[in-house]
Amino acid sequence: MTGIDESKLIAQVAQGNESAFLALYDRYVSRVHGLTLRILRDPMLAEEATQDTFLKLWSRARQYLAERGPFLPWLLTIARHVALDRLRLEARRPLPSDANDPEEMWQQLPDLNSTAEETRWRSVYFAVQSLPNEQRHVIELAYYQGLSQSEIAEVLGWPLGTVKTRLRAAMEKLREAWNES
Amino acid sequence: MMPDEHTPFRENIPAYAIGALDGKEVPALQTHLETCESCRAELAEYRLLTDSLLTAIPPKQPSAALRKSLQSRLPSAQKLARPSWTFSLRLSRLALGFAVIALIVLNVVSLAQLRQIQMQQASLMTQVENAQTVLGLMSSPTIQMIPISGEQASGALLLDKGNNKAVLVIQNLPDLTENQVYQIWLVKSDGGRDTGGLFRPDSGETYTTKVILSPQSISNYVRIGVTVEPAGGSDAPTGERVFRVEF
Repeated sequence: MTGIDESKLIAQVAQGNESAFLALYDRYVSRVHGLTLRILRDPMLAEEATQDTFLKLWSRARQYLAERGPFLPWLLTIARHVALDRLRLEARRPLPSDANDPEEMWQQLPDLNSTAEETRWRSVYFAVQSLPNEQRHVIELAYYQGLSQSEIAEVLGWPLGTVKTRLRAAMEKLREAWNES
Repeated sequence: MMPDEHTPFRENIPAYAIGALDGKEVPALQTHLETCESCRAELAEYRLLTDSLLTAIPPKQPSAALRKSLQSRLPSAQKLARPSWTFSLRLSRLALGFAVIALIVLNVVSLAQLRQIQMQQASLMTQVENAQTVLGLMSSPTIQMIPISGEQASGALLLDKGNNKAVLVIQNLPDLTENQVYQIWLVKSDGGRDTGGLFRPDSGETYTTKVILSPQSISNYVRIGVTVEPAGGSDAPTGERVFRVEF
């Protein structure tokens, strides 16, 4: 699908076109679900969050402004917020066994038969994989579990200064990888 | 701005971009960003990075049921659901209408059956009363049993002038059409006639028993005759005579 086609689809969704909406769903659901599943670690909760994300897309499509950035990150930002809200809602429940094991998160290789437009996110994917474990751990807890630096320090039992240093170092490495891609 | 003032804010930009900066540190950084163009540029760069972190997650396909579930939440599915509800409501109303009609028909049939049963009951009651009258007459010492023979029927007339009672017990009566009845005539010695009642043969019974309704003392009459008359009877005999009995 070209960018123009995508823009048309989004505009059609904003006008209540269900076929366009389902076309966007078919195109991006695996990306949304990959993210919600990564955050929630529970297939049922992740599917609920994925559905809620697309329902928000249905009702808020007209809020998307192409001049502010590509569509997919906008949609995934919605998915992240939905999933993190759900994660906080479910906080009283016992966490899945691997909730504090972010090492597992990056072990799964993405589909290598993807299109050229996904080359950049692949570079970030591999950059995250190449981070030292403690830095990757901090990125995972911050971005995919929605924890602040103080909360990360508490969870991991590290000094707050250590968390800040490792997070900053990780982000700088990723930024370099991003700029080089 | 002096470098030593700028550096602490700049160090917080990665954490802010990834959403991990503690809340108490956010206002100060935001205030700084309003006036620091280089920090805003750096933040924008980190924002692109965090966007890429979103897309860096390997895709996962959800179950096929999710798409159907989502479709069912869309307006067209809601509209489709509504007509089917309306349709089922219409069906319900139609069914209710049929049910009411069926109940009415059932009631009419039931009433007809009840009416038939009541008529049968009345007929049986009459037969019982006639039988009781016959039994009563049989026990009377003044009873006369006058045989009926010839013509088209046979039987007997039980006559008790003392008690002013008379009963016909007849068999082999010819069949009648629906619009016909038997009419009893009480005949005086001067030829004058009074009607003594109408009857039809008792269905399913060998004998037909009919109590004669005498408007005067039965002694005032010298004979009876029975003719076939139109339903409802006649003022004077018009039809074929079935039999007659002399007292």
